[in-house]
Amino acid sequence: MTDWTDVGLSVLKIVIVLLFVLNVTPIMVWVERRGSALIQDRPGPNRVGPFGLFQSFADALKFFMKEDVIPAQANRWLYILAPAFGLLPAMTTIAVVPWGRAFRLPSGRLFEPIIADVNVGILVIFALASLSVYGVTMAGWSSANKYSLFGGIRASAQMISYELSLTLAAVSALMVAGSLRLTDVVWRQTGYFVLFDRLKIPAWNAFSPAMWLSFIVFSVSAFAETNRLPFDFAEAEAELVAGYHTEYSSMKFALFFMAEYMSMATMSAVITTLFLGGWDVPWYNEPPTAFGFAVSVLAFLIKVSFLLFVFVWVRWTIPRLKYDLLMKLGWKVFLPLAVVNIMLVAFFIVRGWI
Amino acid sequence: MIEFIVFFAFAAVAIIFALVVILHRNPVVSVLSLVASFFSLAVMYVLLEAPFLAVLQVIIYAGAIMVLFLFVIMLLNLQHREEPATRPVQQFLGYTGAAVFGIALVYYIAKYAVLKLPGTPFLSDARRVGISLFQAYVLPFEAVSILLLAAIVGALVLSGRGAVAQ
Repeated sequence: MTDWTDVGLSVLKIVIVLLFVLNVTPIMVWVERRGSALIQDRPGPNRVGPFGLFQSFADALKFFMKEDVIPAQANRWLYILAPAFGLLPAMTTIAVVPWGRAFRLPSGRLFEPIIADVNVGILVIFALASLSVYGVTMAGWSSANKYSLFGGIRASAQMISYELSLTLAAVSALMVAGSLRLTDVVWRQTGYFVLFDRLKIPAWNAFSPAMWLSFIVFSVSAFAETNRLPFDFAEAEAELVAGYHTEYSSMKFALFFMAEYMSMATMSAVITTLFLGGWDVPWYNEPPTAFGFAVSVLAFLIKVSFLLFVFVWVRWTIPRLKYDLLMKLGWKVFLPLAVVNIMLVAFFIVRGWI
Repeated sequence: MIEFIVFFAFAAVAIIFALVVILHRNPVVSVLSLVASFFSLAVMYVLLEAPFLAVLQVIIYAGAIMVLFLFVIMLLNLQHREEPATRPVQQFLGYTGAAVFGIALVYYIAKYAVLKLPGTPFLSDARRVGISLFQAYVLPFEAVSILLLAAIVGALVLSGRGAVAQ
């Protein structure tokens, strides 16, 4: 017999998370444009609504109105499917990320604020991230344009390379938690380290003496994995026009745009979960009530928003690398660093220091 | 009930895309269809309550290996986008060989294989797979590692020769 309350709660959770993920794009477009204006000392979009807040809706309307062009030489099916394949991994990855402290509903049922609490959580994220290569590659190949193809090939090479350091950097956080389940990883980070017998530091993995290195490696690799500047070689407008989406117009282009911001949001959520304590509020013990739940969700949202802002901040501050430097950084710096860090964490665990 | 719907839906998807892999003239479409087929197989693993194997299937086959296939095909096949048609003799030999192999396969499976699922749940979490990989199967595991290392060194030597000569 199906438990309909369970089904209802699951649907509710899916709707909440989907609303969050879908709303990330318009908000982040506004933050990106106003943020870049702030950094470059210019006003930015400020005509549509207060502070230009409704600029994103105007943009969306414009995308709907534009003519949808399919190049004559393009492989029609793949050309149409590519944006969907780009969007799908970005939208679904967040299902395994816990976004608040579990609490008891008045009926006595435990409400777990996570869509799918599977015991291979982090691997699901990597699996879907590895599939996100196909959207970019398909778009680049099917457009029948050499700039698009270059963009697609560069993107796939880059994403394969950085997936390695991303995965290996995450291993240290998983070793400490002793589990692949992301709720366990977050629970492991609640509480404190005590320094010099009085200084209490939240037990987040990023502050751990063994894991700050993998936090840095993971965060930088996340930039490469989401194709953001300084690693946006798939687009590289100075060299490749617009890279893999050169030939795309109208809503198909907008879908790539949405996918970029959604994967940024997902990556921020994953960094938060693995290294910044997830929904943990520092120096506060959340009670298992609705209030504790609300506070923890707020803490999670604040952390994710901050990381999203860092994504924007870095994009408008650091120029693009050269392509060979990107590959060197990935294979010759980050990969060895991540492996060394795994050894370090293993040493700490064996000595019982963590 | 819902398991049956999911199973038949994804089984159909897996078979259709597997057919597209061998029937389509465009190698890039073939590779992408194989990815779709592998993904559907991963859903089968989830239905068998082995999510770890499902995720490995996606990460290793659909994610890593097929990306490299796609990469190579896109780089090698830039000029002609479609494979030329095969000769009638080749077609005849291919179909006959496949038919004989298929009949033999069905015959031997029907005769010898035991089509019975184990009664206990299918245990394959990360810990179990890791332990068996590093205890019971440590020798084959290391042998495969060395084989892959040799392949990497070989590829480096082959591709590095031209650069040195220049």
